[in-house]
Amino acid sequence: MGQGGFSEGVTHVPQYEPVLLANVGKPESHTLAAYQASGGYTTLRRVLREMAPAAVLNEVRRSNLRGRGGAGFPTGLKWSFLPADHPGPIYLCVNADESEPGTFSNRVLLEHDPHQVLEGTILSAYATRARVAYIYLRYEYPLAMERVQRAIDECYAAGLLGQNILGTPFSLDVYIHRGAGAYICGEETGLIESIEGRRAWPRIKPPFPAVEGLFRKPTVVNNVETLACVVHILQRGADWFRSIGVPPAPGDLGDPGSFGPKLYCLSGHINRPGCYEGPLGLTVRQVIEEFGGGVRHGRKVKAVVPGGLSTGVLGPDQLDTPLDFNGPVRAGCLGLGTAGVIVLDETYPIVEFLYNSCRFFAHESCGQCTPCREGTRWALDMVRRIRAGRGRLRDLDLLAEIGNSIGIIPGTTICGLADGAAWPIKTVLTHFRDELEAYIRSTNPTGYAVSEPVPALDGPDGGPATPEAAGRKAAVCAQTDVLRAEMTSAALASPAKEAQASHPSTAVAQNGPAPPASSGLAASPAPGRETSGG
Amino acid sequence: MPIAYIDGQPLEFRSDERLNGIEAARRLGIEIPHYCWHPGLSVVGSCRMCLVETGMRDPQTGKVAMLPKLVPACNTPVRDGTVIITQSEKVARARAMVEEDLLLRHPIDCPICDKAGECLLQDFHFRYGQKERRADLRPFTSRRRDLGDHITLFVDRCILCSRCVRFVREVAGTSELLLVNRGTHQEIAVLPEFPLNNKLSGNVVDLCPVGALGDKRFLYQQRVWYLKPHPGICTRCATGCSTWIEENQDRVYRIRPRENLAVNRWWICNDGRYDYPHLHDPRRLVQALRREGGSWQEVNSGGLVGELGERFRHCGRIGVALSPFLAVEEAYLLAQWARGLDPEALLVLGPVPVVGQDERFPGGFVISAEKCPNRRGVEEVIAHSMHRVPAFEEAVQAAEQGQLGGVWVSGGYRHEWIDAGTAERLARAPLVVVHDLFPSPLSERATFVLPGAAFAERDGTYVNRNDHLQSVRWAIRPPAGVLIEGRLFWELLGRPGLYQAEAVLRELAGQIAYFRPVGQRPIPETGFNLKVYLLAEAGQGCQQV
Amino acid sequence: MSQRLLRPEVIERIRGYFPRYPTRRAVVLPALHIVNEELGYVPPQAVIEIAELLGLAPAEVQDTLSFYGFFKQDAPAGTVRVWVCRSLSCAACGGEELLEYLCQRLGIRPGQTTPDGRITLEYAECLGACDFAPAALAGRVLLKNLTKEKIDQWLQSLAAGGNGQTP
Repeated sequence: MGQGGFSEGVTHVPQYEPVLLANVGKPESHTLAAYQASGGYTTLRRVLREMAPAAVLNEVRRSNLRGRGGAGFPTGLKWSFLPADHPGPIYLCVNADESEPGTFSNRVLLEHDPHQVLEGTILSAYATRARVAYIYLRYEYPLAMERVQRAIDECYAAGLLGQNILGTPFSLDVYIHRGAGAYICGEETGLIESIEGRRAWPRIKPPFPAVEGLFRKPTVVNNVETLACVVHILQRGADWFRSIGVPPAPGDLGDPGSFGPKLYCLSGHINRPGCYEGPLGLTVRQVIEEFGGGVRHGRKVKAVVPGGLSTGVLGPDQLDTPLDFNGPVRAGCLGLGTAGVIVLDETYPIVEFLYNSCRFFAHESCGQCTPCREGTRWALDMVRRIRAGRGRLRDLDLLAEIGNSIGIIPGTTICGLADGAAWPIKTVLTHFRDELEAYIRSTNPTGYAVSEPVPALDGPDGGPATPEAAGRKAAVCAQTDVLRAEMTSAALASPAKEAQASHPSTAVAQNGPAPPASSGLAASPAPGRETSGG
Repeated sequence: MPIAYIDGQPLEFRSDERLNGIEAARRLGIEIPHYCWHPGLSVVGSCRMCLVETGMRDPQTGKVAMLPKLVPACNTPVRDGTVIITQSEKVARARAMVEEDLLLRHPIDCPICDKAGECLLQDFHFRYGQKERRADLRPFTSRRRDLGDHITLFVDRCILCSRCVRFVREVAGTSELLLVNRGTHQEIAVLPEFPLNNKLSGNVVDLCPVGALGDKRFLYQQRVWYLKPHPGICTRCATGCSTWIEENQDRVYRIRPRENLAVNRWWICNDGRYDYPHLHDPRRLVQALRREGGSWQEVNSGGLVGELGERFRHCGRIGVALSPFLAVEEAYLLAQWARGLDPEALLVLGPVPVVGQDERFPGGFVISAEKCPNRRGVEEVIAHSMHRVPAFEEAVQAAEQGQLGGVWVSGGYRHEWIDAGTAERLARAPLVVVHDLFPSPLSERATFVLPGAAFAERDGTYVNRNDHLQSVRWAIRPPAGVLIEGRLFWELLGRPGLYQAEAVLRELAGQIAYFRPVGQRPIPETGFNLKVYLLAEAGQGCQQV
Repeated sequence: MSQRLLRPEVIERIRGYFPRYPTRRAVVLPALHIVNEELGYVPPQAVIEIAELLGLAPAEVQDTLSFYGFFKQDAPAGTVRVWVCRSLSCAACGGEELLEYLCQRLGIRPGQTTPDGRITLEYAECLGACDFAPAALAGRVLLKNLTKEKIDQWLQSLAAGGNGQTP
């Protein structure tokens, strides 16, 4: 395969005709010519000619399409929240900040079939009366950046974007807005703040973006895969869409069902990792066996992340959980998420999973809400200490308490990042508490039962103990150091300023390389990967 | 009227009022703890300390439907039927969690922290926090960062509520402060080339709910529990901000804004905030002096009033300069006295210091170019007698041309206010009394020099540039020997008993139309606007006609 | 004012983004990217000039910049900036050992640049290349299914004068 190419060994579930990935794998699939050769933009031409925006919205609404970005909110309903007679402008934001660990389907679509996403974008903008669409594209996808930009240029040249698209009164401009490496920009109001040029702190809701979003105007934020689905709903009709997937749970009037095709991302300890398409509702086992060819080295499954890291884990006895919008919830996970399935085999220590997850969310917490900022960090500090062989059984109770108390579900945070941080902790404790307890008892035989506070693992500046994190912390300190050094010297240079204005000793002490941990507890590297930061 | 229910208590409010949960609860005396919310700043809802349970009461059935999750009271608009629960186990757990979280990386250095005693983190921990530390133990850290001329940051104490950052962006409009980094690596900072030196910068110290932002002038000067706050009015400019004057044993250590939505909202400028050193300036006049030949003779206060009365009774035409630093009552009494001795006495407005232009800030705050507190009030007193407001120069000319037998000049200025030439011309009058804070070219040439009281030492009423009237009482006693204006004028008038500003104000309100609204109502702590009442009266008059 | 850091062409490129957004503030991130492409980093002086161009306080631009952690400020990044993914799928497939291996080979820690200025090493949270775990992003090129041998090869190609931009 060429560079950045699509995963090897694509197979499909029998009797399923791929729709979203139909073009992927074809030569030059990312070009306008190839897209049009396989029927691309015919739906747009027909819709612009034959359907009013309200009819488009209605068709999408009737399809019960639910957002593919993680939360699963019904797309048509989201669009219908836009004020009916707003003078505009109305904005459409395409959420291509795919950052959920285990998820890469947006990358595949953007790299290999950007025109499908653009056609969905144009159709959705038509339905929502948006005249400008911003594609928020994460920095980590340079090839996607290149190809989407090229696709946009091709569309402008072909009259598919810009003023009076295809000779109709409808006009649309599409711009790429590049991210800079922050998971929180995938949260829709974080994304909006980021486009507006601020730190991507999610906004407090209400007001919701549909009422007051980007630049304080009505705004719709949709995921890449969601927009791709819109093309096919309008091409084949809502009834076709509803013929795929899982109908609403009987008796649950609030359940819109889990209809339509879905991209499953499969990674981890698996024979054939990749992005696969199937109907919503395949079981985890089907995905692992039929798409992924089973667990690597013929091993057994230990745990499976069903929908991206933030959804938590399923135990080995839960592999028949259907990957629809209800299945993972019933199995104790946060939700379907992105259907990014990560398989961990029986040899993988669960403490490593917990550490990786806690580190990710502590690193990506935007730092706005106290419970998330401090809770994710506290969890990481404890897990790091457990991993280093100084865990206490009490830490597991504290972790459970953090896991149960942070997030929008209990209401203690503004956005769902903290829920995503909580679920891996909670589900690991549900399924693997025995393993963790055994690990703590065996690595800390003299201290596992201590319940009093123990010294923190890391240096006095609260800095991270991992080497890689030390690198980052040093960079951060160097930056603030500049500020402090210059301010201090300025203060010293001016005798008029009070002498107390600078405490060089305290200012300097915390900025050196992290001193060894106090009280003879200098980090003894855990079995595994940590080495001391010096 | 709409009704909300907070912890079971009904709260009626006007349908045009926009209250959030915190404000509504406060009306019932229920505290909802909070850090990031401030009425003068945008709502971010990020500290999560004000989490409450909410619901709606169905007006027909009376049934209450509660939301399953906690919501921040700061972002909960209170409507008819809103139900708020602050006392539940769930709310208590959430508060304890936030308190515990905020202390995870906090140095807990209360014994050496200036904020101790008025720290929300400390207070809320006492009221709502955990009883034990469960987190890991961390070595003590104390990092300090200089943010500007007046403000210093104790980095490790910060709880990242972002009040200070929002203040400089939304109210001051100067945007010097920023947050750097993300998550637990976040810190407040400034760029070295752009320090926090705007004229409202001191407010961030008041806004800081913890001991992170310190005021260098106040730092380590006094424990806050020794301070007694007194309501005051800033006399630095014609805005007339409401303040708290905080003193211990007649020494002022700190001036802070006092909420007054009609005048200064929650803010004051640094000019007013740091306007107390002159109170304790050793150069202040503290002894009444009489010129005898080429030398000064100390006058004991016992015979002074009689002597001044005698001298002015027989001096011929009297000229009086009423300083715009005088309170309304003081100006009124002085005018009464002069006019009593000489019905033709010339009353003029003392020099009105004007520096530059008004400074306006995006949040609506104005620092007035006119650097005195009561030009409007004194003008009205003068106009009542004179039917016009003669300028200071008129008195100077009259003195120079020998038309005045005696001149009384009230001062109260902090800065140089009269040049030698003007003083020389004024001193042509045979009898010159100057009543002021500091020596000046005029005091050098006067017949009597009387030590005056400073703003924090006097009772009285001031009218700001927008006709907003406020009354205050003294906060500290003046240095021994000072002749407090109101009391001196009261004695000169030979009135019996003690000077009481409030009684004088009622008296003058009965005589001077401009002050008539005072006589009809109690004066609230934050004062009221005379124009509004006078216009309303005029409107009623028109309707009657 | 000290000498201007941003060349007129760079300023024109930034201005080119103005029509895309209703506010100048929205151009902060594009402007930071443009300057970063141009200089390899965004020094404080560039922050001040961007702020001036966009009508913002420098502190506001710095605030946004520092949130993302992507933009370096003290020194330009190396010729090739390589991000090694450490998130779950990659870590489970040995990504962290490879990061450590790269650290040893290059003699630097994540966030640092080799003394010859050729390589800046970083760790990344999920590169979205879990299907190629363990993966790294070297400049604009995704390094897939990494092994120590592949890292050695890649380093050799760099040493041989390649730019690391052909896999």
